[in-house]
Amino acid sequence: MHPQIESAFNEAENRYLHPEELGVITQYVESLPKRMQTYCTLRDKEMTIMQQVADQLVKTLPGETTEALERSIKNALLVMRYCAMGMLLNNEAFVKERLHTWMGQSMKAYHSETVDSALYELLTQALNQSLTPQQLSFFNPMLAAAQAEFLPQDQPLTAAALGW
Amino acid sequence: MISVADLLVNDRIPGSYFATDAYVRSDLEMGLLENRQGDRLIALPETLIQAIYSGLDKETGQASRLVLFNCGRWWGKNFYARFCAEVTDYYGTPLSNMAMVEFMQALQQCWITHGWGKVDLDQSHQHRGFLVVKGWNSVFARLALKHEQPVCYLEAGILAAFFSQLTGKDLHCIQTTCESMGADCNRFVLGLAKRLEPAETMVTNLAHDAIMQALCGEN
Repeated sequence: MHPQIESAFNEAENRYLHPEELGVITQYVESLPKRMQTYCTLRDKEMTIMQQVADQLVKTLPGETTEALERSIKNALLVMRYCAMGMLLNNEAFVKERLHTWMGQSMKAYHSETVDSALYELLTQALNQSLTPQQLSFFNPMLAAAQAEFLPQDQPLTAAALGW
Repeated sequence: MISVADLLVNDRIPGSYFATDAYVRSDLEMGLLENRQGDRLIALPETLIQAIYSGLDKETGQASRLVLFNCGRWWGKNFYARFCAEVTDYYGTPLSNMAMVEFMQALQQCWITHGWGKVDLDQSHQHRGFLVVKGWNSVFARLALKHEQPVCYLEAGILAAFFSQLTGKDLHCIQTTCESMGADCNRFVLGLAKRLEPAETMVTNLAHDAIMQALCGEN
């Protein structure tokens, strides 16, 4: 559950909730049917989306071993499942905690950064085709939170980074 | 051609079994801590750990090191059995079939989630028959009575038993650096007892690298 909502529930014996706290709960409750619908779409299309990504990945990186590609695809399936659950709960922390450290370490150990960068680019494209803009607005923050845990972040655009 | 459906076993993909929020569960009303399999966990208050250290020191003096080491061995033996059972059950593969990367990730996360700090393996002396385990933020080092030598006998015992069970060899463990003495981390050297023996006397006056050089005969 979203941490803000969870903390609101802890206030029961102290006071009635403020309008802005009720607002957060209302917002979540109202978005829940759409979150459920997005979750079901992701569940039903899991194989189609990932198969599409896998097929393109093989074409994009012909030099990579099947073992390396399969490992990254398997990890991406797991990331998608965590993100889908995180979206249902509206809780980015859930996604972060489940992936924290180990996914990044695993990618580093297997030197899979190139495969993973290509994979998540293809995955984003596949999701753009499979989900509506509203569904994407629920799902993308979760995927971004997950990626922040393991994909190398872009360097900030500074003079030093540009070598000026 | 990769078939994505074939990558799933029973439609599941194992994640990080020891992820803290998934592994530790609490029942506020009953005041219980459980792991995700429903086994009871106990929380050790700092006061208790300090009391164990000072009580042992008063009762047994210098022998407290051996007592703690042996307690650690007992703990480590049971810890290994539980670790093995849980990991095998969750990942659906025996520990011996796990890739080293996955095994280490599970062990490191397990260590963190149980609140024992961080651990890592240094395998640079493996070819000479020694394995070095590095640990950070150990509560057992922080709360121990300060001495002129490393104090994590409990952890040394745990590691000796854990890696003995894992490798099927009777291994001993000696700590060479300690956070309680201002070191950057705790270093534990694992190896056959006979080969580690000379290090027992070196820990008081030699640095870790010098001890490793002496043990590996690289003088």
